[in-house]
Amino acid sequence: MKNQYHRMNFQSKGEGIMKKVLLSLLLVSIIFLLFADRGNAIPAFARKHSFNCNMCHTAYPKLNDFGQRFRDNGYQIPGQVGGEKSIFATSPPIAIRALPGYDIYKTECCKMNSFHIFGVDILAAGVFHENLSFLFIYTPRIDEPAADYTGPQDGLNPRQLASVESANVVFSNVIDNKLNFRVGRFEPSYLPFSAKRSYYLFSPYEIYDFATPMNTFIVGDNQLGIEAAGHFKSGFKYAVGFMNGNNGNPDNNNNKDIYFRLLKTFGRGDGQSAGQRIGIFGIYGMQPTSFYGSIVSPFGETDGFINKQFYRIGLDASINWSTLNFQFLYMIGKDDKALNTLRPTEDYEYSGGFAQIDWAVMKNNRLVLSLLYNWVFPPDYDEQGKLKTYSVLGRYYLGNWEAVNVALHLEYTYKGRTICRFREDIIGMVIDFAF
Amino acid sequence: MRRELLSIMLLLCIIVFVVSAEEKPPRKAPPLPDVAVHSLGPQKLAPLPPVPVPPDNPQTPMKILLGKQLYFDTRLSADNNESCASCHDPAMGWSDKGPTSVGIKSQVGPRRAPPVSNSAYMPLQFWDGRADTLEEQAKGPIINPKEMGNTHEKMLETLNSIPGYVEEFETVFGKIPIDLDQVAKAIAAYERTIVTTDSPFDRYAKGDKTALTPLEAQGLEIFNGKGHCTACHWGPNFTDGRFHNLGAKNKEPMEDDLGRYAVTKNDKDKRAFKTPTVRDVASRPPYLHNGSEQTLWDLVEFYNRGGGDDDSNMDPLMVPLGLTKGEMEALVAFMKVAVTSNNPEVANEKPIPPDEFPK
Repeated sequence: MKNQYHRMNFQSKGEGIMKKVLLSLLLVSIIFLLFADRGNAIPAFARKHSFNCNMCHTAYPKLNDFGQRFRDNGYQIPGQVGGEKSIFATSPPIAIRALPGYDIYKTECCKMNSFHIFGVDILAAGVFHENLSFLFIYTPRIDEPAADYTGPQDGLNPRQLASVESANVVFSNVIDNKLNFRVGRFEPSYLPFSAKRSYYLFSPYEIYDFATPMNTFIVGDNQLGIEAAGHFKSGFKYAVGFMNGNNGNPDNNNNKDIYFRLLKTFGRGDGQSAGQRIGIFGIYGMQPTSFYGSIVSPFGETDGFINKQFYRIGLDASINWSTLNFQFLYMIGKDDKALNTLRPTEDYEYSGGFAQIDWAVMKNNRLVLSLLYNWVFPPDYDEQGKLKTYSVLGRYYLGNWEAVNVALHLEYTYKGRTICRFREDIIGMVIDFAF
Repeated sequence: MRRELLSIMLLLCIIVFVVSAEEKPPRKAPPLPDVAVHSLGPQKLAPLPPVPVPPDNPQTPMKILLGKQLYFDTRLSADNNESCASCHDPAMGWSDKGPTSVGIKSQVGPRRAPPVSNSAYMPLQFWDGRADTLEEQAKGPIINPKEMGNTHEKMLETLNSIPGYVEEFETVFGKIPIDLDQVAKAIAAYERTIVTTDSPFDRYAKGDKTALTPLEAQGLEIFNGKGHCTACHWGPNFTDGRFHNLGAKNKEPMEDDLGRYAVTKNDKDKRAFKTPTVRDVASRPPYLHNGSEQTLWDLVEFYNRGGGDDDSNMDPLMVPLGLTKGEMEALVAFMKVAVTSNNPEVANEKPIPPDEFPK
């Protein structure tokens, strides 16, 4: 589910509507609460194994240690390889996630609000054969909104672009747990904290999505390529990959970008919900500065010229204590000066990161509270200015022993930029459900 | 050109890895026998289905009664003091008081007796799965020097010298003298009747939402969720019937017990023991194969810590759970009451009085 908040188009509503909207949301919530026990819909893996969502998730979509190990093991239960039902022995492994809701958006000059569908994912995943599995995620285009829409950019501002967000095959346990391959479009392992599985819907990890002047590479996007990854009993994990580095698109030059990820866990657990984890990551790639005379193949790739280097490097930590999880990431990025259209005489350098604390409350983590601080510091001459965001959220999950698959989500984000003291306030109320 | 070559080489490496992985000897436990109630992968917690009965040992009332007599008869042991029920005691949840079982001449065994109840649903028998069937299992303890300390020959000699047994075996099996398979079949037939059903959970799963208290219902949710219990304790019998190393290593002076490894000789099975059923778990403390956890609360704390001692062969399913005290209370409440059966004929089975054994 890609954060496309900045592309959203907001339709102004009268202030008086607010109360009705909040009352409606409250009513919907009460109805859900009353009928929660009747919910029986669970996504593909949980349905296959008859597990409650919180077997693999601290609270969905965030993975716990079990879920992380399950993913690392190619969507097979750890230690039970060979004992998995394949997709041919189960019902079709298809799941849907949707996020209808309501937002209030405010800047210093104006205030807007609207109902939305914040995102839809159609997922399929499973095990083809022993140690051979797959993940497929399609995000359909969500337009704003219907045929009678009278906003300023009719048809030009989809909230969510149609995209095959993930389509990858996993070759697991090629050499025990020490070597596994993932091929296709996937979320690379250099992301220590998954933006796709973050609780935050509006302002997850700003540093991942930060765009530099003439570099199309977005750290937070799923990439096309191949990754080798492995984990060891000592708690050491690694991943190394080759990718187009063009955000799921065909490559724009003939260089493949590379990345690595190294991490170590301490204590029992993988640092998701138990144990502690520290790691480093890096990305090294080349971006073309010229397409003069280049050609486009029938498959869409381009042989861009005069490729110049860029890199991203960072460190991260995940600390657990009881039901608290503290996450920290710091990253620096550098683009060659040839990619710096703002000041071509020097390299474009920036830094940023985030710190997040999640607290799982109530039995079976039915309530999650979280605080998130993001910062991105581009060079002073970049008129985007320094960005700081402060977010807070609460998610309450409805369901029963079979599934807790409906989250009532309330999130607030403050975004402030140093340039012109620009600020945004975002409040989102969403029902995040998956089945 | 160099780049293309590198790409091709990388692709070839992958293919070689994949192909070589196919050719390697299996790194996992041997496949489990295919039995009716056990298929690949976890199944939903649910009421128990009918007991699977092997075609070569059909259930008959006479055979079941004969099996019951044998089960409680101490004359199967070398010193006439031990019966199956000495360790698999109905009053102790078809297990024993532990921590490990005490057999002939007060010898202390290395493990506690696994419960006989619902063992008919198990794909493999014993903590280490060394017997494929209940029939095979029934033959084992008779000749175990620390359990009943007998020999099959002497045991058969004893039974064949008792006219009452000879008559009953002839009625049930149609032939004499009594042989070992007949004894095993009769005991197994009786054990297939020891099925614990109609627990509050069973009623809840059938739709009676009042069958569990709110705390027990929360416990069930944690059991199937944050507690990760159903990762192994799944399906109608609350067990995968497979083998896991929980880090519950024997403490001095007990000898190291290698568990499933003794059967498979696969290093990955070292100190792995079969998952027991959770049904009626409250009736048979202490817990784990060596009785190292005294109460259900201790057991939940054990899992909440991520298992026992560090062991290089620890099951990857073992991770600290982060359960709060309230969640642990809910889990214990669920296991204490909600999976306790309500069929008194099994829970309150009484030993056969001495004067009612065949003479």
